[in-house]
Amino acid sequence: MKVKVISRSTDEHTKERSQDLQRVFHNYDPSIRTQEKAVEYVRALNAAKLDKIFARPFVGAMDGHIDAISCMAKNPNHLTGIFSGSMDGDIRLWDLASRRTVHQFPGHQGAVRGLAVSTDGHVLVSCGTDCSVRLWSVPISTAMELDVSSDKSVEPLETYVWKNAFRSVDHQWNFDRFATGGAGVEIWNHNRSAPEQSFEWGTDTVISVRFNPGQPDILATSASDRSIALYDLRMGKPAAKLIMATKTNSICWNPMEPINFTAANEDCNCYSFDSRKLNEAKCVHKDHVSAVMDIDYSPTGREFVTGSYDRTVRIFQYNGGHSREIYHTKRMQRVFCVKFSCDASYVISGSDDTNLRLWKAKASEQLGVLLPREKKRHEYHEAVKNRYKHLPEVKRIVRHRHLPKPIYKAAELRRTMTEAERRKEEKRKAHSAPGSITSKPLRKRRIVKVEE
Amino acid sequence: MAETKRKTRDEGRRERSKIGSDGEVLGQDLYEYEEGVPEEESKKNRRFDPVDNLDYELPEDFEDENVSSDDDNEVKNAGVIEAEDEVKEEDEGRTIREIPSELLKIVSFANSECSYIKQCNFRVHTVISRGRRNNVVVSEAYPESEYNPTRDILEGEGALSIRDLLDPLQGKHGYSKLRKSVRTLEKKSAPIQAPLPKPVQERLERNAAYDKSKEELRKWEPIIKRNREAPTIYFDDDRDLGPSSVGTIASEFEPRTEFEKKIASLVYDDEVMDAHRKDGSRLRLELNKVSAEDEKDRQNRIAKMRSLLFRHELKSKHIKNIKSKTYHRLLKKDKLKANSILGQMDPEAAKELAMKQEYERAKERMTLRHKGSSKWAKRIKERGVDVQDDGTRAAIAEQQHLHAQLTRKMNSMKDSDTSSDDISEDDDMDVNSDDEGRASKLLEKAKEKTLKLLDEDNEVPNSGVLNLPFMERAFKRKNEAAAEEAKLALQEYESWSKQLGDSGGVNNPKVGSPSGRMVFDGKEAPVSSKKTKSDNKNRSDNYYGDSDSEDDMEPRENTDVGKYRNNDLMKDANTSPVLCQEDSENHKDSLVKNFDGSVQDPGPQTTHEVSIFASGTWRRLFQMKNGSDANANAKKSPGPLQSVVLDQHTQEPVKDLDEDSDADSEGQMVDGVLSAVPEPSYQLPSQEELIRQAFAADNVEDEFKKTKEDILNEENPEPEKPVLLPGWGQWTNVQKKKGIPSYMQKEHESAKKKREEAIKQRKDANLKHVIISEKPPNKKAQKLFTQSLPYPFTSKEIFEQSIRMPLGPEFNPASTVGALNRPEVIKKPGVIIKPIEFEEVNAYEKLEGHRKTEQNHQKNNKSKSNSHSRKNMTYMKTK
Repeated sequence: MKVKVISRSTDEHTKERSQDLQRVFHNYDPSIRTQEKAVEYVRALNAAKLDKIFARPFVGAMDGHIDAISCMAKNPNHLTGIFSGSMDGDIRLWDLASRRTVHQFPGHQGAVRGLAVSTDGHVLVSCGTDCSVRLWSVPISTAMELDVSSDKSVEPLETYVWKNAFRSVDHQWNFDRFATGGAGVEIWNHNRSAPEQSFEWGTDTVISVRFNPGQPDILATSASDRSIALYDLRMGKPAAKLIMATKTNSICWNPMEPINFTAANEDCNCYSFDSRKLNEAKCVHKDHVSAVMDIDYSPTGREFVTGSYDRTVRIFQYNGGHSREIYHTKRMQRVFCVKFSCDASYVISGSDDTNLRLWKAKASEQLGVLLPREKKRHEYHEAVKNRYKHLPEVKRIVRHRHLPKPIYKAAELRRTMTEAERRKEEKRKAHSAPGSITSKPLRKRRIVKVEE
Repeated sequence: MAETKRKTRDEGRRERSKIGSDGEVLGQDLYEYEEGVPEEESKKNRRFDPVDNLDYELPEDFEDENVSSDDDNEVKNAGVIEAEDEVKEEDEGRTIREIPSELLKIVSFANSECSYIKQCNFRVHTVISRGRRNNVVVSEAYPESEYNPTRDILEGEGALSIRDLLDPLQGKHGYSKLRKSVRTLEKKSAPIQAPLPKPVQERLERNAAYDKSKEELRKWEPIIKRNREAPTIYFDDDRDLGPSSVGTIASEFEPRTEFEKKIASLVYDDEVMDAHRKDGSRLRLELNKVSAEDEKDRQNRIAKMRSLLFRHELKSKHIKNIKSKTYHRLLKKDKLKANSILGQMDPEAAKELAMKQEYERAKERMTLRHKGSSKWAKRIKERGVDVQDDGTRAAIAEQQHLHAQLTRKMNSMKDSDTSSDDISEDDDMDVNSDDEGRASKLLEKAKEKTLKLLDEDNEVPNSGVLNLPFMERAFKRKNEAAAEEAKLALQEYESWSKQLGDSGGVNNPKVGSPSGRMVFDGKEAPVSSKKTKSDNKNRSDNYYGDSDSEDDMEPRENTDVGKYRNNDLMKDANTSPVLCQEDSENHKDSLVKNFDGSVQDPGPQTTHEVSIFASGTWRRLFQMKNGSDANANAKKSPGPLQSVVLDQHTQEPVKDLDEDSDADSEGQMVDGVLSAVPEPSYQLPSQEELIRQAFAADNVEDEFKKTKEDILNEENPEPEKPVLLPGWGQWTNVQKKKGIPSYMQKEHESAKKKREEAIKQRKDANLKHVIISEKPPNKKAQKLFTQSLPYPFTSKEIFEQSIRMPLGPEFNPASTVGALNRPEVIKKPGVIIKPIEFEEVNAYEKLEGHRKTEQNHQKNNKSKSNSHSRKNMTYMKTK
């Protein structure tokens, strides 16, 4: 005989202290709770809607420059410090927390085209069209005392004048070296007035230079001959070069995956490459409707931000074909430079309208200190949203972004154009002998050749 | 790489210095190769005679006619490099190296020092071939003469060596250096390869560099793989965010202002600190001097505060007591309620209450006050209630009320018990009476039908196969047999009806009850066959009806069988064939099922049920009837032939069908066709025939048409007929006269037209045998489906599995909720994330371990932030 008895021990149900949590017993049998999926679906929907409601990405603008901002550099050792250089030769250090200029570094005669900060955050390197490279010492206590009296005769630590104008500069991670790009690629030391090494491969101007932060001896450059080149400092030699159909405006290495880098191309797309296999891009990031001017990876390596000539800033997943976020304001003009903050939670853009703009990396993120309960709630919402993101309703809400009219129209136009191209190719294929016409995948289409 | 390069450079230098010291300075044709050594000179196999040229020595003022010396000397330095290019073009096979600048220096040195050498400006070629051991300087092969010594001379004792050439330089500046280098050259001279063309060489170098860096990058693969596969990556390692306690903050405090300094001087007074450090007693006793006045002041102050507090308290108490009337009333009510609840909660109080109630009840039982049967009550009733005073009347009323209450209570309890029983009994009764009535009715109906059939069946179909003479004959014969059968059946009916009449009330249920199922089947069959011809719609309904009734009747039939058996004679004879028939039945059922399934779902289900419920007795019973009344079916194969039929069961499923599947109207339908088939003695029908027969029964087409119609109606519903609103305008009679307003009619017309058009435009409008559903998708459900399989998933099942388990805290234990909801990247706002640094990774390591190592590694980072040597770091980690 089977006897069923309900037994509850009092020990389990009495609180020993007043702070103890009441023990709650749950039966997690899914057959009892038939509605749980439906409930979670609705929650996902609500979470998506809430996200939309709370999406306030714009934190603030920082004005002070009197010409377009051409380049920026983040201080790898100081979260709130960011440097910006403008076309009139002005360099400013901003405090992101108070959104004010903390320091100015006057001296450049022409436009400042490149800024970089040493890993310890003490030395700022700037270069420009006046053929000079200047090293500046970065003031330490940036936030506390606002040096409005900027003409406290800030003198550069060093000024190195060279033969040609410079287009960009980048500092090596953890070492004293930095690289400049101009007529060629030069590797400099802090303490030497002439470059340590110089590379030349082809005759065209080098537009952007980036050191690989994970593997600091490797260097990637893009040049105006539409090429992307890799250099290895240990060999003292260029390593590989690939030529694309259009120019690459900027390059950024993935800080968490030193083998991968992403190139911001003139043809509105970004191309992620494995530096070991240059004959095809690993991923093509589409969405911009005009040339992509600058790119910067999030320190987490999971996403990157791009600024474009179409007056928008977009954030992409490192492996996503389309952007997950687009930022724009009415007053923001062509974006020339973008940076991800060192804690991966903010994005800074510098544009033609002489302003720096500070954005949240996640538009609906709640700023400030979160209670653990709040945090859990956010996490749950995120997880639920992520689970049901494929369902049409949720997808629609999550994907929807309001776009400025010109961008919307341009995107539409681009879509029709690509669609027409595709159709034409399809037809051509259908009407010619099988195998005579082959189509290249998009990842390869824009790569002209790989030079050795 | 660099090493080899240096080597070649050295060699180049050596060679160059040799040449230079020789004084054979040369312009563009330094490496020029025109022709190998003449064969005579190489003395291959000694085939050539040696030529004697031993005594010749070059005159000091010798000038080579061939040399454009001045020009050459001028462009010397530049020419060297140019020469290389020429050489390249001339001889691809050779490998040529760049000549370093040091070499040029030597050359120029030699030139400047020994001007006389310029005069003897030999054209010298370095010829490099595989077989040769040493570098040899060979003179140009001009026609052998006294001016042009052969090699023998040069190699012999009288040969001119570099040393000879150097000797005159002795004592001059740089001589020793030159000599040294010459000596080293002589000591270890190795063959030197000609340098490669520059672009080729650079390409090679780049390739090497690229391969090397690729190799270097390969080490990241496991780390990247691990990070990518990890469900979560952490960047929120605990960092040193400065002093955490108040003590640490205070310890760093430095007094700056005047006030702070004053305080600090008091606090950090040596005496105080000392006392504090010891045990503090001194701090309390000696150092803590308070004057009497101060103490008094303090006490006064405290007393004042206390009195103030007390007054305040009193006041607030008073204020608290002032409340409105309603408040107090409600309070009272609450209190009462609470008391009652408390009483219930308290077991003792409850017990008391129960006791009290029990007592009341007992008292009531004893006195039966509510009945009003007490002497007192009777007397009052006698006297009349109206006469009594108020108190008595009230008491009487109370008694009556009590009575009413109790009776009501009692009644309500009784009702609930009995109601259900009553109903069920009624049902049974109804069924029985119904059955009896129906039996007689059915008998009559069957009689009518048979008579009708007898009349009708004489008509012969005029066309097709049936028109053939032998068919006609067969038909006739069959008709005769059928007529006989029908007569028999009629007799049977009469006897039955008599029975019904005779047996009366007692007998009726016995006969009637089997009729519930069997008589119905036996006699209803022809009726239903007629029906199927006329309208198909009822058929499916029939199916259901039959199967249902079957369920109900079965047990009763079984009980009745015994009695019925007594009346019948044929029974015993038939039992055995029935058994074999049952065997073959399954086979046939499946057949029925097969072709039914294609048409309609309920069909096969019902037939299946039939076969299940057809228990042995039931089947037997049916068989008996078949025998006895010869099926009452004029079209059917004659009764006497039944045994034959039974034998042929396997071959003639259709006949089986007719006999076994009791309620199936299909069986009867088949009969209709069968009637065309000649007598039972005929041969096996052809395959075509069989198929035709097999599918004759079910009107697939009709059914299909019907279902299609239904679907059409469903998808394009017929417009409702315009109807006047009931009551609207009726009283005026105007509306009635006018009829339905014209606009309504128009609307209706247009709607009809629209519908027709829509039906015409359907994709399946012209396809008779196809239904293409154009039902609009369910929008509500559509929301919950993805249009296509989401990207990373490869199959629907996997995707569904992935979203099966809920995530929420309500549906999961607290221990797993965190893990379920964890985001892909965990970071802390305000914490700087450094780029990745290399660490050895075991690809198969668990993630837990990984996290720890990561943290350690971050800590390491902090500790050696100043040290720039990365190699050290990795070493530390791997250790």
